[in-house]
Amino acid sequence: MQLKKRSPAELRLGLMAATCALLVQSAHGQEATDTTADGEKPLQIDAGALYYKENAGRIQSYDAIVTVRKDFGDEYILGLNAAYDSLSGGSPTGAIPNRAAQTFATPSGTSVKAATGAPVTYTTASGRTVAQLSKVSVYTAAPGTLPIDSGFHDQRVAGDISWSQPLGQNNKIAVGGHLSHEEDFRSASANVSFSRDFYSKNTTLGISASTEFDNVNPVGGIPLAGSDYTKLQKGSDRTKQVTGGQLGLTQVLARNWITQVNISYDSSSGYLTDPYKIVSVLDSKGAITGYRFESRPESRARRSIYMGNKVAIGSSVLDLSLRHGTDDWGINNDTIDARYRFNLGSDDLYIEPHLRYYQQSAADFYHLYVSSPGVLPTYMSADPRLAAFTARTIGFKIGVKLQDQDEVSVRVEAYQQDAKVRSSTLTGLSGLDLNPSLQSFICQLNWRFSY
Amino acid sequence: MSLQQLRTALLALALISLAGCSSLGIKPWERDVLARQEMALDAYPIDTAFDEHIYFSKEAASGGRGFGGGGCGCN
Amino acid sequence: MNRDVSLERRAVKLHAASFTAMSSPCEVLIETADEALALQLGHLSAAEAWRIETKYSRYLPDSVISRINNSHGAAVEVDTETASLIGFATQCYELSGGSFDVTSGVLRKAWRFDGSKALPDQSHIEQLLSRVGFDKLDWSPPHISLPTGMELDFGGIGKEYAVDRVLGLLTARFEGALLVNFGGDLAANKAPATGPWCVGVERPDTDKQARMLLDFSRGGMATSGDTHRYIEIDGQRYGHILDVRTGWPVTGAPRSVTVAAGSCVEAGLLATLAMLQGEQAEGFLGEQGVQHWCLR
Repeated sequence: MQLKKRSPAELRLGLMAATCALLVQSAHGQEATDTTADGEKPLQIDAGALYYKENAGRIQSYDAIVTVRKDFGDEYILGLNAAYDSLSGGSPTGAIPNRAAQTFATPSGTSVKAATGAPVTYTTASGRTVAQLSKVSVYTAAPGTLPIDSGFHDQRVAGDISWSQPLGQNNKIAVGGHLSHEEDFRSASANVSFSRDFYSKNTTLGISASTEFDNVNPVGGIPLAGSDYTKLQKGSDRTKQVTGGQLGLTQVLARNWITQVNISYDSSSGYLTDPYKIVSVLDSKGAITGYRFESRPESRARRSIYMGNKVAIGSSVLDLSLRHGTDDWGINNDTIDARYRFNLGSDDLYIEPHLRYYQQSAADFYHLYVSSPGVLPTYMSADPRLAAFTARTIGFKIGVKLQDQDEVSVRVEAYQQDAKVRSSTLTGLSGLDLNPSLQSFICQLNWRFSY
Repeated sequence: MSLQQLRTALLALALISLAGCSSLGIKPWERDVLARQEMALDAYPIDTAFDEHIYFSKEAASGGRGFGGGGCGCN
Repeated sequence: MNRDVSLERRAVKLHAASFTAMSSPCEVLIETADEALALQLGHLSAAEAWRIETKYSRYLPDSVISRINNSHGAAVEVDTETASLIGFATQCYELSGGSFDVTSGVLRKAWRFDGSKALPDQSHIEQLLSRVGFDKLDWSPPHISLPTGMELDFGGIGKEYAVDRVLGLLTARFEGALLVNFGGDLAANKAPATGPWCVGVERPDTDKQARMLLDFSRGGMATSGDTHRYIEIDGQRYGHILDVRTGWPVTGAPRSVTVAAGSCVEAGLLATLAMLQGEQAEGFLGEQGVQHWCLR
């Protein structure tokens, strides 16, 4: 320790800095303190229930999440999270609408002849036809409608655990694990992150890494990628791995403004194809000659940059975030998301409108359909999620604060996705909406309380 | 600027960047606004979890904010 | 220990919560008409003050300080909050060239500032001085090793620290104006709508009614100096601030120094350092460029 006479400026600045460093830890202890500032805190429990419904009889789901957060004091924090989804309805198969009715086997089906008139069917009110041929399920899309495989019924249970704690004076380390289970999909992942505070905790730099292992085991086996749909050559289950990393910077810009910038990279490999998706094969006039199972590359690398902001404006709070992403499948995407919270009355009640805009370009191997005769592409997918589209969300939330940190809130949102390419110049397809808009609606209830 | 002034200025800079209170940031006792619960970057983790799950299953992009999405057969 | 919190309405939109902590009358002024809220904030303030008092008291055998002081040279692992306080004490020791030293408390064993004229034995002072010196302890966060016989004492910063913490705790929950006053050491977040806080500083004269009134809106303010704690030797009056180099009280210091700064901790430190300058107290504060009021 070196002791010497300090100049007045040196002393004053040093004292200011030392005071800052001392009081920062107390300022940070403020967030959810009860009467004991650095001691153990009560359990914080967040519970949410969501109802999700898409238009035209597509997916409908009921989801529930419960998170429990236990702060043991001095920033030792344990988090537990459980989620349950029950999903039914159907999603687009990738096949495009046709002037004639189209008949398909559901995933559990064996071989079936496609597009050849009517097996034993009955027609439902929604215009789709469902048939039960002993154990083989078959469905028919009415003329001009988008083929939807409505046989889906799945349940997902997921749980994760996280632990974070200080590591020395200004550092923090966090580890987490996640497991999820569906009938046809299992996933396990782990992540670790390290962050360090600088400048009186005005700046935080973080680095994190994650890895995920998935097992895909579709009902009825894995179809051979790119194979003829009617042949239904099945393989056994497949796996996929994702490894990712993220660099993050959190910066306090002003007394009322905090910002976060993340740069993320992840790389997936293995079975990235959707086993339930197919691609229509058309002749030069636009008539359907068959279907192929889709086929995607066995690797994908994605990069994104994200910026989030929280700005207090009087008693209101603006939450504004931007994201730009690219990947080696050729999908570029941009997102802007804004929420504005108005605190009403004596801060017990708030309303929060929400607007979001998203756009993406199509994957290089996205095709609305493929043409035959001719060489079929090695990679092809007609999954609408890989198409070029724009999406808009409009939402509204209202919340009531109860005693302490307890709160209940309700959120309703509407979402619409509009594909950029929806028609074809092929004569057989003229006048058909080949990629109709997706509309969905959510209603969510939240409950937060301490125990 | 004299050598002495330069030294003081450099020292001030070093102290500021070293021990605290970067010029961009705020003083510890000015954290009242940021300490408000709704000013947390992820103030409503349940909303975030539902949103990330929905957008993960309907769009080609996901994540960016933290670890989210993933672990779902829907994409 | 008296654990009562009392609430008094001072104006339409002003409540005062009072309690006793750290042997001082404590008061929190809250700009609100809501009595229940004021009482809740008052209880929160008292709980935090008592928590700090209990954690850092030299007199409670279970306190963190007692654990360190009774460790007989063994390394003691401390929590984050204590680590930042020790870190702060380290920086203050270095910045003050060794004159601010949290190990100097043992010197009090020789001096009794009760206005008497009894002089301590020089050999006793020298014996005690061998147990003083921040450079003799080993601080490698989060472990501290304090040689046997030495003592840590956060008395010089504890009250100011509690004031800043309580203000921080309250501003996280309440947006109106607040003034936290623990026995004359205070901090405020902003001025009430009706104008700045008016703070009275007791003059260390015989006439206790005479007060110096100061306008104060935000930041911290602390006073060092005590009318009743002095010793008189050959007509020379010594204050209760001890010089760690000699073990003797600093001579020529003002009777009281009040400083306003960004936080109460900073103000308290500057006031103590000014006292240590003796005759040069005013000059020192002038160089620091802080608002100050010295009474001689």
